[in-house]
Amino acid sequence: MLARVAENLYWMARYLERAEDTARLINATTMMLMDMPRGASFGWEDLLKVVGLDEAFHALYDEASETAVMSFLIQDERNPSSIFTCVRHARENTRTFREVLPRESWEWVNELYLYASTHMTQALDRRKRFEVLTEIIRRRQAVVGLLSGTMSRDEAFQFMRLGRNVERADMTTRVLDVSYAINLPYQNSQYHDLIWMSVLHALSGHQMYRRHVGVRATDHKVLAFLLNDVQFPRSVRHCLHEIQFALDELPGAEPMRRLQGMLSLVDGADFRKLATSGLHEFCDDIQARLADLNAVIGLTYFRAAHPQKMTQNLFNLT
Amino acid sequence: MKIDCGSYPLMGGYDELLEAPGKPRDGAVGLCDYFAGLPADELEARHDAVDAAIMAAGITFTVYSEAGNIDRAWPFDVVPRIIDKTEWDRIEAGLKQRLRALNRFIDDIYHEQRIVRDGVFPAEVLADSKNFREACVGANPPFGVWAHICGTDLVRDGDGTVYVLEDNLRVPSGVSYMLENRQLMKRLFPELFARYDVLPVDDYTAQLYDMLASLSPREGDRPEIAVLTPGIFNSAYFEHSYLAQQMGAHLVEGSDLVVLDDDCVYMKTIEGLTRLDVIYRRIDDDFIDPEVFRADSALGVAGLMRAWKQGKVGIANAPGAGVADDKVVYAYVPDMIRYYLGEEAILPNVPSYLCMHEADRDYVLANLDKLVVKPANESGGYGMLVGPKSTLDEQAKFAELIRDNPRNYMAQPTLSLSTVPTLCEGAIEPRHVDLRPFILQGRDLYVTHGGLTRVALRRGSLVVNSSQGGGSKDTWIVQGVC
Repeated sequence: MLARVAENLYWMARYLERAEDTARLINATTMMLMDMPRGASFGWEDLLKVVGLDEAFHALYDEASETAVMSFLIQDERNPSSIFTCVRHARENTRTFREVLPRESWEWVNELYLYASTHMTQALDRRKRFEVLTEIIRRRQAVVGLLSGTMSRDEAFQFMRLGRNVERADMTTRVLDVSYAINLPYQNSQYHDLIWMSVLHALSGHQMYRRHVGVRATDHKVLAFLLNDVQFPRSVRHCLHEIQFALDELPGAEPMRRLQGMLSLVDGADFRKLATSGLHEFCDDIQARLADLNAVIGLTYFRAAHPQKMTQNLFNLT
Repeated sequence: MKIDCGSYPLMGGYDELLEAPGKPRDGAVGLCDYFAGLPADELEARHDAVDAAIMAAGITFTVYSEAGNIDRAWPFDVVPRIIDKTEWDRIEAGLKQRLRALNRFIDDIYHEQRIVRDGVFPAEVLADSKNFREACVGANPPFGVWAHICGTDLVRDGDGTVYVLEDNLRVPSGVSYMLENRQLMKRLFPELFARYDVLPVDDYTAQLYDMLASLSPREGDRPEIAVLTPGIFNSAYFEHSYLAQQMGAHLVEGSDLVVLDDDCVYMKTIEGLTRLDVIYRRIDDDFIDPEVFRADSALGVAGLMRAWKQGKVGIANAPGAGVADDKVVYAYVPDMIRYYLGEEAILPNVPSYLCMHEADRDYVLANLDKLVVKPANESGGYGMLVGPKSTLDEQAKFAELIRDNPRNYMAQPTLSLSTVPTLCEGAIEPRHVDLRPFILQGRDLYVTHGGLTRVALRRGSLVVNSSQGGGSKDTWIVQGVC
């Protein structure tokens, strides 16, 4: 497998994952805001913090109004992580390695792009937003399903699996970290459960949580579920396992060594304690380790493609 | 907007589907019936579906312009062009004969040059050749074959004669569109294929793979094969990627490869370096090796020529093969066929006037308004003068160009290219077409079943190049009356 192609596959999967995660996050937030008391301290500004783009936003916009934030997160091409930018990058990447994917993959990614380029503006309006973003999610999932059903579990597949799960684990810790901080003021209010439930919603985990853990969103149980559940595909542990399975199929020992460190960290966590203090530091630690893993993956596999520089640094984790 | 055979406005020349108003040719009876029976809105709907399918599939080509490079959807026309199998068999034999002779010629040119010594091919044409590569002299590619993939352009004149217009031996493109066109037709008109026995075309990629594999310097069933592309901004990138995908080959750029001290070519992979056996290169000679050709090329691989000359990597087409891809050299192909094969050419050349010969030049200069003048080494329809459609100013400009560099120009009579019914903004009208079959030569010879039919979508236009308003059609080889 060519180093350049491996790198493009890895990033393509990250771009698509980020596009979908952002779409899910926006849908969940829009829904939750309707439940919150008017004048609640959580607002669009906080959503920017969740995705780590508050500074980038304010370099371009003055006020974090709903319209401005939605435009920035959904369609603004100046934002390297906007849904549209991610879809566009994923499509450009896919063009460069069409030969390693099943034939329809390119068509479906291209159609996702064509859909995004004609419908993104509609998603700025609350009335159409849910529908358009859901369609983005649906089309992205169709690509994932196609690959899952038609592609050999070769190295190309493993690089996409790596990219998808590094991105997803990052998103999960990010949402957890920031939502928790934002929710602190409501610690003992009537909104307490609602807020933890909204965290689950933002990560599309509410239904599986209810089914496998309980109806009430209890703080330490939510944490254990999102960080350490073996079965839920968006939990950090599940993502780490996926990364582990992908690395098993690839040469090189260093990425696996870094991964083991992260797994023991999650293993040793005391979630009751984290619910009262230290969650921010814990999430920070995981994110730093993910950034480190990302760099080690680059050094191990992609270095041949460009000895001097790491490309796509705009999109790096830290 | 049906195809109504009765009211179809034949242009007076040769039409590929109809021999007279209301009278389809033998192979086209069923097709004309079918289109005549299709309700107007249905035809329109299918046409729209084609456009949507092309956009979704991202079948594009790039148009270079000052305003930037634009990715355009590939213009496709839904009415296929039909060629009778018996006629095709003769064309196929002619194409194989031609490529065999061309390869003998190239191999001779880079060795003893017997054809020059025997006075059949003029030394001055060779001396002025832009595509002759000194670095290739004495090289011995497998089977003595240099041009492995050839795209030969054919045209049919008013009287029905099929002529060879030119042989593209450098990096001919278009085969992916031929394959995609058939896919589109099968998707959109499945019922037509139930009525017709059309020779399949999709064997091409397997044949291409086998041919490339036959060039491998190493024994073994699965040689490492790569398509070498200049990158995503090249107008034919779609095709490079498509062919790599269909063959299960790597798609590489120059920076993915390296030649080491052992003179072998390696790919930079996630596990380090892996040896590469065969390169299907889609970049011009000038750019493939900065050690030998243009030193400023970032597209190629330093040392590639060393590796190739020592037989450590197969390259298709071989460097230097372009020496036979020259519109002046073209005029000598019938002589080559006689000289090397002892046969008469099965397919005639278009009569050609070489401006390097004084008598020809005088004739050309006196008849610029009637002839098509072509530079020897351009492709893509650039730098041409189409006499009957030119202004006096343009003719004066060409007269000067010809006098300055006679070797670089040749001229041909304006043929009345044959037409095929084509869907044009709500009506079916005749449009001019050519045909580019693809011929492979390695250990064996192979010709595609049909080829890429290019169509000049502008009324009356003879220029079929996609960069200049051309489109394409599916091409059917069928047997007998159907």
